[in-house]
Amino acid sequence: MTPLFHLLAAQAADPEVIDRIPSGYSHFVIPFTIGITFMLCWIGVGCIRLLYAIPQADRLKFWKSLFLPKTIVKNLKDLFGDCLLHVKIWQRKPLLGYMHSAIAFGWFMLIVLGHIEVALFVPARLNVTRGGLFYPIFYRYFVWMNPGHTTLRGSFFFFLMDFFLLYVLSGIALAVFKRFRSIVLGMRHTTKPSFADRVALYSLWMIFPLRLLAESFTADLSGGSFLTVGVNHFWHFLFGDKLWFTPCWWAYSICLGLFFAAMPFSRYMHILTEVLWILLRNAGIQPHHPRKGVAEAEIYACSSCGLCLDACPMNVQKKNLKYSSVYFIRFLRRHNEKKINAIADKCLMCDKCHALCPVGVDAPALRRAQRATVNNALPYDYSYLASAVSSGQPSGHGRVHSRFAAAEYGLGPAAVPETALTESKSPRVLYFAGCMTHLTPRIIKSVDKVFKAAGVDYVFADREGGICCGRPLMLAGRTEAAAVVIEANKKMIEESGCDTLVLSCPICFKVFKEEYHLAGIKVVHYTQFINDLIISGRLPVQKKEQKLVYHDPCELGRGCGVYFEPRAALNQLGTLVKASKEYDESICCGGSLGSLTLDSRDRSKISEASLDSLLANDPETIVTACPLCLKTFSEAVSNVRGRDINVSVKDFAEVVCP
Amino acid sequence: MVDFGFGLVPSSRINLDLFDKDKYEELAAVEPDVRICMACGSCTAVCTAGKFSTTSLREAIEDIKNAQPTKALELLKACQLCGKCSMVCPRGINTRHLILSIINTYSIK
Amino acid sequence: MKNNILIIGGGPAGLEASAQLQRMGYNVILIEKSPKLGGHLAKWDRLFPDSVPADEVLGGLLRGSEGVKCFTDTDVRAINRLDKSYNVRLTNGITVLSDAVLVASGFDLFDAVKKEEYGYGIYDQVMTNADLEAYFKTGSDRRIENPGRIGFAHCVGSRDEKSGCRSCSKVCCATAVKQAIEMKQAFPQAEVYCFYMDLRLFGRHYEDLYLKAQKEYGIRFIRGRLAEVSENYDGTLQVKAEDTVAGKPLKVTLDLLVLMAGMRPSASGKAIGDLLEMAVEEDGYFAVRSGIAACQRSPIPGIFLAGAATGPKTLPETLADARAAAMEIDRYLTEIFPDARNYKQLVRERW
Repeated sequence: MTPLFHLLAAQAADPEVIDRIPSGYSHFVIPFTIGITFMLCWIGVGCIRLLYAIPQADRLKFWKSLFLPKTIVKNLKDLFGDCLLHVKIWQRKPLLGYMHSAIAFGWFMLIVLGHIEVALFVPARLNVTRGGLFYPIFYRYFVWMNPGHTTLRGSFFFFLMDFFLLYVLSGIALAVFKRFRSIVLGMRHTTKPSFADRVALYSLWMIFPLRLLAESFTADLSGGSFLTVGVNHFWHFLFGDKLWFTPCWWAYSICLGLFFAAMPFSRYMHILTEVLWILLRNAGIQPHHPRKGVAEAEIYACSSCGLCLDACPMNVQKKNLKYSSVYFIRFLRRHNEKKINAIADKCLMCDKCHALCPVGVDAPALRRAQRATVNNALPYDYSYLASAVSSGQPSGHGRVHSRFAAAEYGLGPAAVPETALTESKSPRVLYFAGCMTHLTPRIIKSVDKVFKAAGVDYVFADREGGICCGRPLMLAGRTEAAAVVIEANKKMIEESGCDTLVLSCPICFKVFKEEYHLAGIKVVHYTQFINDLIISGRLPVQKKEQKLVYHDPCELGRGCGVYFEPRAALNQLGTLVKASKEYDESICCGGSLGSLTLDSRDRSKISEASLDSLLANDPETIVTACPLCLKTFSEAVSNVRGRDINVSVKDFAEVVCP
Repeated sequence: MVDFGFGLVPSSRINLDLFDKDKYEELAAVEPDVRICMACGSCTAVCTAGKFSTTSLREAIEDIKNAQPTKALELLKACQLCGKCSMVCPRGINTRHLILSIINTYSIK
Repeated sequence: MKNNILIIGGGPAGLEASAQLQRMGYNVILIEKSPKLGGHLAKWDRLFPDSVPADEVLGGLLRGSEGVKCFTDTDVRAINRLDKSYNVRLTNGITVLSDAVLVASGFDLFDAVKKEEYGYGIYDQVMTNADLEAYFKTGSDRRIENPGRIGFAHCVGSRDEKSGCRSCSKVCCATAVKQAIEMKQAFPQAEVYCFYMDLRLFGRHYEDLYLKAQKEYGIRFIRGRLAEVSENYDGTLQVKAEDTVAGKPLKVTLDLLVLMAGMRPSASGKAIGDLLEMAVEEDGYFAVRSGIAACQRSPIPGIFLAGAATGPKTLPETLADARAAAMEIDRYLTEIFPDARNYKQLVRERW
């Protein structure tokens, strides 16, 4: 590019652009300057305050992360992909993605190109003391194009500026349209804007049409391309030679000023906070409080776009819209303690809003943090766990549960099968069913059948009932209590001497995987374990004439990212048909332990919606891999009133070994 | 008036006159399900913590209604919130929230 | 003039009503969807509270309804309401023009598989009240092999929001006590436990039955709902409940567990209700004109209801209900139906 520029510069020796107003100032810039100054001060103070509120260690981690090559790459990728192009929205809803990227990326390019123009043609004006704050924004007002000396370079920028203006305008047009007919862009529900939102929204709508107006009015002086010049001709045709353009520039500046002034109080703060949140997120810093520190960046990074409204399974009923993550975050911003608690408690913690959020706001984590503010300090007494673990622990390992069984039921030692870990030489497998699974004996029976069919020697850790995994406590925000339970369980499992821990409950699986840090023990979900058995040929399976649909349990799919293995195994057993929403868009069964306050009627509405999605392609059997889903769906298929659902609900292991 | 001092002998009898209605209504406003228990005992039967320690939601609800909140709190402190009770409750009581709400309402803060 | 009356359902209610209506001189057509008349009664062995053989009662009902036009293996395909009567197309190809229709579609037993925590269909040693009656009738069941400890779980699929049934099924408590006694008679050495929430023994002689179970048979009544069943290595069952009287969680090893499956609105009755667009209440049973004064009249003129179609009933209640329905039908067909000119007004006033 550079040599070409030199060549062009030589051809046109005279200045291409002449500073039309030597002072480089006009009164109309005042509204904009006030607005942007206010906003910049606000965000500056906010950033400092926020970083100060983060614990020292986290802050250090943050600064370091900014210089790590790996995070730098990720940061750049996320900033470009999430903030400007909105790749995540594109993937789900292309039209909506276009709208967002048109406004964000288009505007970004207008600002960048504006500054480049100034840098190229009147570089002195970039200096803040000479109007650097506003000059590049209103560049077209201040300059005069030397008509005989327009270069290719100049035309190129004119074209780009017009092109991106048109690009933004198309986005704005879609946005205006969306306000009235959101469904066309793929959104069933949209958020209700607050007052500040409205001010910012309407000024945002006005900014670009006014910019077009202002620039087109001055296009015969300051130049332009296909759009502005074209419109300029139209004005001349309409109003004759005299164009009175100052009011347009005033209006443009006022709208910009209004927008920036309203920004800190509106959802549009996300445009800037998002940057900080992405940096913090990529640095791996977790929120410790629902509002302070990182959480603050997170809640202000929420754009209130409302994609979580359609994602939320509770919103099959319109009355539950108010419990959506977007409103939760809005109330967090407003410090409305009572409402925050009610909203935090209602959520099923299915994590779908997090999975679909264009900025990756982890609202379920914030809800947990919020629940912790109420529930973490409540008294508890788990002293019994210490004695339970130590007294039940024999000198060797693995015997504990068998010994219990023998002692408690008067069975002779001979009645106890020789499955104790000490005696087995092959990989030692421990199966932990979890609390809920004891109410779904189908799973226990089928897992046993599968293991026997594959010749897996295993010990059933909690045949006689065990200790809770701790996940339900964590979901309720009782982090400290959960830690005690986890410690007790961990001790028992580590001392069992197993090297593989198989879990059939996704709730247990998630917490075992993420919080237990079991040294030397492989933690797998039974879908993964069984799929491996099938692949390795240890478990012979036969494909049958059956139409199956797989339901992704929240904690397994979105929670642990296990989507592939259950499907791979089921493909060997029958024809797997699609649900209308699956993988990370799968709808919670409604039975989740995550919600503290959702009542059974609301839950059954969610079950119905989830069933509808699963039944989209007329399967004969719904397969799931979670005791809660199994129980919820089994009850739902028979209790849904006014319809005949002819489908059976089965557990994954049950399908593998019927 | 002669005080024979029988009042000095502590009575283990449930005294419904001591029932704190305001507090109970406060609890019921947070979790109305406290009213609908029919004392079937399913929750206690399946309780994970109940294997190790004396824990009973049914009894705790009874104690609350019998003006003995301290006993109720004592019965619930071992709860691990595993949610098994909510799965078996024939009245569909939101047990986990009820337990949290009882502790939250009656604990001395 | 002989009016046609269609009775849907050949159980005790349908049989009794058809007998009465026939005696009054009406032309009764009785249809039954299964191959055999008698409904659940035909599958039962003995009846509470006095252990009368079910066959004896059923025999009486069948004798009473002799001469009634009866189609078994027949269901309703379509129903059209004409001016006053109903044009009913049956699955056997016959079309009946009927002036009154009595829906006596009865109940279905709750499918105990749905209460998974009790392990019916999963564990070998779990059966239902109906299975046990079949055992009493035939004398054989692979699950029953001189059981040492027998448990009866009351309220399976009744009084349980989780099973979609809030209400009490009314007959299971007495059935459980009766069956417990019968098991004790069959296996005198056995320990028998009844797990109940409330013993609802309201009828005449029922309390005597309870007393007999306690006094003569030493049956142990535990006030606590059975909540969890698991299997031991040797195939025996371990059940958990709370003894709410003692205030302690309890477990016991059983060789046999009998689930007292409750009553659910019958599925085929629901299909007929859909054809007629008849209202059902939240519990799934048909709505009646008035729960006190007109229990046998549906909200639709000319459609009557009897027996368990309008909620759980004991056998004597069902028979009384059927007789009442016959009276109501007679009243309708003599007072309202013949008056063609004032029919609509009469329906408004007297239905």
